[in-house]
This record gives sequence, C-alpha cells and structure tokens, in this order.
Amino acid sequence: MPGPRRKIFRNMAQKFIEMAALTDVGSVRQYNEDNIAIDPKNAAMVVADGMGGHRAGEVASRIATEVIFNELKSYIAEFGNAASQYSPRLAVEQSIKRANKSVYEAAQANAAYQGMGTTVAVALFYDNVVALGHIGDSRIYRLRSRVLKLLTRDDSLLRDQVELGIIAAADANESHNRSLVTRALGIEHDISPHIHEVQALPGDIFLLCSDGLNDLVDDSDIELIVQSLKSNLPLAAHHLVQTAKDNGGYDNVSVIIVKVLKPFPAASQQRWVTRVFGWLK
Amino acid sequence: MAKLVLSKGGSVLYQCFLDKDRVSVGRDAHNHVVVDDPAVAGEQAEIISIGNDHILEDLRTAGGTFVNGRQVERHILQHGDVLELGSFYLRYLNPRVSSAIDLERTMLIDGLYGAADEAGKKSRPSATVARVPSARPGKIRFPKGRIKILTGKRAGSIVELDRVVATLGKRGDRLAVLTRRPHGYFITHVEGRRYPRVNGQSVGKEAHLLQSGDIIEFADEKLQFVME
Repeated sequence: MPGPRRKIFRNMAQKFIEMAALTDVGSVRQYNEDNIAIDPKNAAMVVADGMGGHRAGEVASRIATEVIFNELKSYIAEFGNAASQYSPRLAVEQSIKRANKSVYEAAQANAAYQGMGTTVAVALFYDNVVALGHIGDSRIYRLRSRVLKLLTRDDSLLRDQVELGIIAAADANESHNRSLVTRALGIEHDISPHIHEVQALPGDIFLLCSDGLNDLVDDSDIELIVQSLKSNLPLAAHHLVQTAKDNGGYDNVSVIIVKVLKPFPAASQQRWVTRVFGWLK
Repeated sequence: MAKLVLSKGGSVLYQCFLDKDRVSVGRDAHNHVVVDDPAVAGEQAEIISIGNDHILEDLRTAGGTFVNGRQVERHILQHGDVLELGSFYLRYLNPRVSSAIDLERTMLIDGLYGAADEAGKKSRPSATVARVPSARPGKIRFPKGRIKILTGKRAGSIVELDRVVATLGKRGDRLAVLTRRPHGYFITHVEGRRYPRVNGQSVGKEAHLLQSGDIIEFADEKLQFVME
C-alpha cells in the first residue's frame, strides 16, 4: 500500500525557529521515494531523495532520515557536557556517516535492496549557527535580505559539465543528465559528506529541498515565492510544491522551510532543552 | 542506445551506435563516420558522450556545422536532430532519452575528472556554485492576466501578472497572493484577520479561482482582474 500521498507539518515548539515541511509524490510518479523529517525540539531537519529499483529508494531514504535523527539526538544531548568534543558540525557529519553505513549494510544484506542509495540534505541549528551537511543533489538555500542563495554544491554530472565549461549554463535545460548524481549515501562503505556552517540571523529563511523542486522551478521563482509568502510558511511550502507540479511534476518533490525568529545563543537553547528533558524524566 | 544514421537522397548509407567516448565525423578516411562530400571538412565535427548526453562540437571548420538549419559550435544533441553535411544528412536518434519522464529517475554515475572527489575541497575553492537553470519544459502554457487598480493614489494603473506569484496588501498587516497556474489565476489569503473579497464575497482561507472581470477588494484597495 502506498503511504499517505502528502505529509504536512508545522511546528513552533522550539521558539527561535518556525518551520513548515511538505513532501508530495508529484504529478507523474506512482510512489514517493523522498523522505523528510523535522525535529522541532532539537532544531534539526532532513530531506532524503532515494534511488534504486523496486521501491528500494523509499527504503534507503527512510533508513537515512531515521538514522540521522537518532544519531543527532544522542550527539545533541552531549553538547552541554563540557567534556564532550561534539560540535553541531561534527554531529551532522557523524550522523550522515552512520546513516551511510546503515543503508549500505541493508543493501548488502538484502538482494532486493542492492544498489539502493539516497541523497540527503541535513540542517542543525545551534548557537546562532546552522550546520549543513549534504550529499547528492538535494539542496539547501538561504533567503536573506530578499536574495536567495544556494549554499550547497550538487554532486551531479550536469553541475560538473557546467562548471568545467563543457556546456553553457544556458544550455543546461537541453541536457539529459539532470538526474545523474555523482555521489550518494549508501553506495560505498565510507563517505565524506559536504559539511559546513553558516550564521543564522533573525529573519533568515533556510530551504531544504529535493531536486523535484529546483529541477522544475527556477531559482528566481523559488526566491519570489519564499519572499512573498514568508509570513505564512505552510502556504509557502504548499506553493513551492504546487509550482513544481504545475511545471510538470515529473519527480517527487519535498521542501522544508525554516525561519529564524530570534538569536539562539547556546546557553538559552541548552537551558530550554534541559528543561524539557527535566519534565520528561 | 543512441545512434547515427547517414543518408543521401533519401537512402540510408551507414548507421552506427554512439558507443564510444568520442565519435569523429569528416571527409578523411580515419573518421568514425566518413562523409565523402567536398563541402565537408577533413575533420568536421566530434560527438562526445557524457552521461546521457551526446555533445556535438564543430572542429572550427571554415564552413561551420549546421544542426536543423542552425549553425552550432557546440550543441547537446536531441532525439531527431539532423546535421547537414553537404548533400548528406546525419540523423541523431535517441528514443530512450526523448521520454523526459523516464529520465527523471535519479541514478548514480561517475563525476567528471574526479570533480566529485574534490568537491568542496581544493578543486575550485573560490568558484561560485554553477547556476544550473531548471528544466521546466516549454510546452506548459500559462495564462496571461493583469490587474487594474480602481481606487487610491494608483487608480488607473495596470499590473501585469507575469510571475508565478504576486502579493496584494501589506506585510505584517493584511496580505494576499495571486498565483498563476496553468488553468488560471487564484487568490489566496496569506495573513491578517480579514479575508479578501471577490465580487463582494469573502474568499475565506482556501485558494479561489478568479474569472476575468472579477472585482477584488482587499486591504482598502479595489482592483479588477482581467484575463487576456
């Protein structure tokens, strides 16, 4: 049985950010091989776009999001501990590496899953910074002062072709290589994901998406939609997905939009988390 | 697999699959595809395979290389393209990739020149990320609409609705959005306690399809929506 066609979330539990997320099977495909997850408590989010025959892509992207979330949780719990050496950056990197191992091992253990893999884009907000990790062609953008900036570099053949000058950027829409990724999670025993940190300022909006969005919607239109609808994030997420579908919707499409509401220095964030954990104990 | 078909005067002379990294085309005998016509250069063009693409490159010939009647220096071949080579035609056929939908399946492939391994490290430290435009197919047509402002200081002015969204009202107060979709324009409430009104009726929270001539009232402004 196919899962629910769409999932929508909205959450403001972690008071310094607001977010909305939406994943949709698209207009053409039968199954949604994308998986998304948001963890409001820990201010973490993941988009994963699976690949592999016989719906193995769905399995790969689900394992990846689950493992990344569980790993992040255990690292984040260590952040307040002075003896701990974990930083958000390291937590993102380690969690992606662990997810790689889990997907790889699942693929080895089951013939039906052989060759499955997934892209991932991960963001973790902590101490006025967002740690970003990605592999494959899922993307992370930031809208600041009305300008949308791509923060990630696709692992895609098309990007290589354009960067090396083999084809002009303007001709890229003639290429047949759009969906060929050069790296993915779960294919090899060990990987080194792209990791970096950027400042997260109040008013910044971060967008994580699968290529089903940016392949069908120009960056200028993504910018306009997010800028125009930033006061209503669920509506912005809905419009992004709808525009991708209106433009053909050949692929599954997933978006997570995160708005930074105020500064979040580590001390206050930690107290808040401790307080919640205190209630739970 | 993609193939090339060489023909002259309506009859097929030669065919070959594009199964090599580079396939050369020219008058000289050492080419993979030999085209014996005085209008063709000894080494006319080369076809390079990268992923699913076959990229045609003119080898700086005096006469140039023409695809579908248009001169090209470098061109990503598309199913059905025809190269004119003197009195010969060389046709490029790639039915599999002509189906865009099948292509959208994500697949893994080796990167170019180790670019993937070096990604984000030392290869191009200061390079700006290449902007790869979207693949939006041209065949989807969007309607053309505009709004006429009927009241206030800007009364009489016309705003073309030529982007995917346009906002009405003021941020932080009352805001609505006009969305362009293949089957028409919609108005949707974004923020504020009061909903937009169309022809005197509140549209509520849901997207509302506009008809040409509709009068929109929102945030103390009155507008008319007109479709071409």
